[in-house]
Amino acid sequence: MNELILELKEEIIKVLNLEDITPEDIDPKAPLFGAGGLGLDSIDALELIVLLEKRYGIRLASAAEGKTIFTSVENISKYVSENRKR
Amino acid sequence: MSSIAITGSGIICAIGNDKQQVCESLLAEKTGIGELRHLPSRHKELPVGEVKMSDTELKQALGISPTEVFSRTALLGAYALRQTLADAGLTPESLKCKRVTLISGTTVGGTEECEQYSCGNNTKAIAELTTNNSQFSIFNCQLSTISTACSSALNAIILGTRMLLMGETDIVLAGGTEALSVFHLNGFNSLMILDHQVCRPFDATRQGLNLGEGAAYLVLERTNEARLRKANIEAYIAGWGNRCDAFHQTATSENGEGAFLAMTDAMKMANLHPEDIDYINAHGTGTPDNDKAESTALHRVFADALPPVSSTKSLTGHTTSASGSIETVICLIAMHNRFVPGNYGWKNKSAECITPSAFMPNTDLHHVLCNSFGFGGNDSSLILSDHECQNLSPVNFHLSTFTYTESELNEEEELKALREYISPMESRRMCQLMKAAFLTSLRALEKAGINKPDAIIIATEHGMFENGKKILATLNEQGEEGISPTLFMQSTHNTLAGALAIHLGCHGYNITYSQGEESLQWAIQDARRLIQEGKAENVLVGLHDEMPFYSKSIIVKKI
Repeated sequence: MNELILELKEEIIKVLNLEDITPEDIDPKAPLFGAGGLGLDSIDALELIVLLEKRYGIRLASAAEGKTIFTSVENISKYVSENRKR
Repeated sequence: MSSIAITGSGIICAIGNDKQQVCESLLAEKTGIGELRHLPSRHKELPVGEVKMSDTELKQALGISPTEVFSRTALLGAYALRQTLADAGLTPESLKCKRVTLISGTTVGGTEECEQYSCGNNTKAIAELTTNNSQFSIFNCQLSTISTACSSALNAIILGTRMLLMGETDIVLAGGTEALSVFHLNGFNSLMILDHQVCRPFDATRQGLNLGEGAAYLVLERTNEARLRKANIEAYIAGWGNRCDAFHQTATSENGEGAFLAMTDAMKMANLHPEDIDYINAHGTGTPDNDKAESTALHRVFADALPPVSSTKSLTGHTTSASGSIETVICLIAMHNRFVPGNYGWKNKSAECITPSAFMPNTDLHHVLCNSFGFGGNDSSLILSDHECQNLSPVNFHLSTFTYTESELNEEEELKALREYISPMESRRMCQLMKAAFLTSLRALEKAGINKPDAIIIATEHGMFENGKKILATLNEQGEEGISPTLFMQSTHNTLAGALAIHLGCHGYNITYSQGEESLQWAIQDARRLIQEGKAENVLVGLHDEMPFYSKSIIVKKI
């Protein structure tokens, strides 16, 4: 589980070009979107959908579905471990 | 005082290869959306509004050899333009001694065929194809290409009107063309805004848009000159608005600010009140975002006097860069045949949307409003009237003198200085060219002592060439998989103008020219025109290109 969380943090930093941010800076329980967290937006959500598909073979049907999953790194990791195809 | 008349029009799209066929489909509410046949894509699950003619058939109709290489975008453009010229009764004799300007809107414009990413080449090809083996000779006409994504064609019509009013040209051929491509089908798919069924604009169950393709052009002339040559006048231009939503690269603001401002400008210029408008052809793409924001903007402008509104995109598909002229021609057809086009596919009332009109026969349409919005927040509106409108001439027209404040980027190394202006969170998605455009723009504004310019005009020959190339590489390597949505939304030529407007909060006039090496000339000329019209005191102009890497910003200001 912890390995997957670290991997997700590294991938998120890479695909979203989060300059100046290290995996340690991301609290796995903190919200990714909006205030009080990383401050990601709807474009980032679309990139995360591509990440799930490319890396883990998970295909989401709509952007709305992404919203319920991308609440925190911990939540993504839970969803990935339950649904991953690769 | 002069007014501007439309003296010819032509169209090709999914519901017909000419005005007659399009009219019949509109009357019968027959959609042209279905499974893709001509486009070599594996996405058979995505319905599209394809033109029914193949490239070979188009070439045959244009009288050119099947082995000659032209993009489908150029073929469609030439096919529609020949119709337009014939419709206007423009013969080589009537074009003699006239200054002719062809203004075409396009964005993707044969990216895959040419891998050049230069929209201007398409306009050149259209002029060539229209002239070759035909009675029309427009090869020596002045060419301009506008690339403001899905509002490109409407902005081409607006520019043509303004040039005629200023006396800069005599005959304008304006419109747009765009063919379906694997590039933008996959790009829109990555944004998750494509409906897997036939789209349902303004419906509660709408899931997105269907891409379409086609081309349409108008002939525009000063009314007195059109009358002199006894031209048949189809309608008059009554007003327009070109504004920027300045909110998001691809999404629309909650209150539809850009759309609201564009419609308000057009109504004011036409000196019309909400109850004067008989029909609105909405942008109405079918995406949850657009239809909601456009509805909000419509309510803000029209309140209790909302006329019949419909989107014709569930018939034609969203013809992107061509949609502005395609829907203008649809409005002309509706005016002449006295009907309100229906909003095909609408069934369920959406709490956040207007209730669109059903097909209405036997309806007089005196004033019609056409909306066309694009990525980058490029929102434009146009009003057509069945009688002459004298109030178009620039109110504050006078010869101005200008000052120019410049900032140029010499070394890519300098880009580090951008940190003085914007945060890493804001710059994280920016490619080198966007960083350069921001740095030179912000430095030029600082030098000129301006926080927010009145308008933004960008010139670019190749646009976001690097991003486009990366997307093509992904398509080739991964077979229509894994396109980066960020790269796609930053692949349109108007990306820089849109992003600058968002950063600066500039809702003013916003346009992008892509006419090869002449792009900057067009941009500067437009900045001066805008100031002469009294629509701006100062304009941020930029020339930004990647091949070779170059970025320069100029503040054009009235003395």
